[in-house]
Amino acid sequence: MRKPPIHLISKDAIKAWQITAILYEAIAWILTVIGFVLHIVIDFPLWIVLIVLGITLISTYITVFLLPKLRWKRWRYEVFEQEIYIQHGILIVNRTLIPMIRVQHVETKQGPILKKFDLATVSISTAATTHEIPALSNEVASDLRDKISALAKVDEDDV
Amino acid sequence: MSKPERLHPATIVFNIIKGIRDSIFIIIIAIAGLMDVNIWYAVLGITILILLIVLMSYLSWSRFTYYVEEEELRLEYGIFIRKKRFIAKNRIQSIDLTQNILHRIFKLVKVEIETAGTGADAEASLNAVTLLKGEALRAQLKSQSINKEESVEEETISDPTQTITSKGILIAGATSGSVGVLIAIAAGAISELERFIPEDFFNNAYQWVIGLGLLIIIFMIIGGLILLWLIGIIGTVIRYWNFTITKIGEDIVITRGLLEKKHLTIPLRRIQSIGYVESIIRQPLGYSTVIAEVAGGSNESGEEFSTVIFPIMKTDEVSSFIRKFFPDYQMEEIDYKLPKRALKYYITRMLLPSLIAFIAVIIIVPYFTWIPILLIVLSILLGIMQYRDTGFTLEDSKVTIRYRFLSRVTMVIEHKRIQAFNKKQHFLHRREFLATIKLSIIGKMGLGKHFHIKEMEEKEANKLADWYSYRGED
Repeated sequence: MRKPPIHLISKDAIKAWQITAILYEAIAWILTVIGFVLHIVIDFPLWIVLIVLGITLISTYITVFLLPKLRWKRWRYEVFEQEIYIQHGILIVNRTLIPMIRVQHVETKQGPILKKFDLATVSISTAATTHEIPALSNEVASDLRDKISALAKVDEDDV
Repeated sequence: MSKPERLHPATIVFNIIKGIRDSIFIIIIAIAGLMDVNIWYAVLGITILILLIVLMSYLSWSRFTYYVEEEELRLEYGIFIRKKRFIAKNRIQSIDLTQNILHRIFKLVKVEIETAGTGADAEASLNAVTLLKGEALRAQLKSQSINKEESVEEETISDPTQTITSKGILIAGATSGSVGVLIAIAAGAISELERFIPEDFFNNAYQWVIGLGLLIIIFMIIGGLILLWLIGIIGTVIRYWNFTITKIGEDIVITRGLLEKKHLTIPLRRIQSIGYVESIIRQPLGYSTVIAEVAGGSNESGEEFSTVIFPIMKTDEVSSFIRKFFPDYQMEEIDYKLPKRALKYYITRMLLPSLIAFIAVIIIVPYFTWIPILLIVLSILLGIMQYRDTGFTLEDSKVTIRYRFLSRVTMVIEHKRIQAFNKKQHFLHRREFLATIKLSIIGKMGLGKHFHIKEMEEKEANKLADWYSYRGED
């Protein structure tokens, strides 16, 4: 576990995450606009609105422009014959080992945003945990799913 | 037992009692609501309700049948929607027999059958069958053949077994968790009372009378606490009465209980981890509880998440106990301890909530500031204790880990039981070469159970990762 895993996830992940973040930030922006309207209509204290605006600006910068890139840079995975090795996390770096013989099932999934970029998430479940490798290109994700599924079948251990 | 059989008719009675218990709330509301209008409406309503419960109880009993066919236990039930449930014999993980007081009057038993499946309830539950039939069913559903069963009977003498002593059960009751809470309440209450006693209390005759009243209150509180403590002891005695653990072949069989008799079977292969817990009260006295993490199955109401393997035992006897019953889970001394630089994280983690409480109390009720101050001191102590106790020992095929939240827990986990390994570092950890690791095993109700060792040397975390990794060192 000294070296990080070698494979990066798809670079389009950044865009997909940015869009997701923008959708969430839209809520904050709507609240800010409502604040301004309230200020004009019923004299709602301006300083509260300005604080909300500040928070919205900062959080938009962080979640839309800063985090997706950092997240992408950190996200790595590697699939060995015997186990799966995943790394993720910006401030807190997580590295996880999942032995093939512990894998119960593996699936790919795709939300509307991922679909737009032709991306898919691979989700790997053991009897105790679930792990995800997000935003791989459709092709890579399916290959990975089939590969893990084939490797996981080799040894069956009863609970 | 190939022809469908019904449960014992006493099931109807059990169902009626359960039905009434479940709808007692509605009954109370009906009485309260209709009392003013006309008492007869209430009587009429309740009569109808009870008649309905009786009818449903009868129907659900008469529509419930079970039989064993083609290596399967088959249940057919349901009043309006007929349901059939087939459970394959070799998928059955355990068969538990329980008797509560009502069961014992009728010489009946409740049979609960569990598979590895997810869910809080047992897969199949036969509420009441005669003891004879229950035991026959268990024998029939056990995967072992009949002559194996007989040989097991003979072996019983040489099978390892251990029963709780009456001294042990009293100690278990006297040191059960509730005592800690009681001591805390008592300490708080007494120091609180002191504050209410005026300074010239002993000089003033008038206040002497109040003082007498106070004394009576103090005595009543102390008496009440002792009463609660005794109730705790009695509860433990009822629960763990005649607690016996026996190892029969590949199964651990536990029987216990005074009013409600329980007979639990735990297949060894379902056990994911074994260890012992030393609660804050029991640790200085040198006692601990032996527990196991068992995969799958339902969670008993009121039961801790871990399965109690033996309620109380001298800590220095745990090792030989485990050798006798679980030779694969030999305990080792903890040889890796945390580095000094980890201590600050442990203290900070414990301190933060009490600091927040401290600030809140200062602002809201400055009079009670002493409570959070006490809390701060205790949390620093707890942090130091957690830091000192955390550690692990690595061997070929298993790891022994120790940690504390309040109680000190020492668990042995086999390599093959660990489902995933996770190493976590935040940016401060990275600078100091510390890491937190997480070992996941299968827990109850299909959930994972995770063991953490926080802020260990990164080098050691990597060693653990190499040990766990299936592709060897990298």
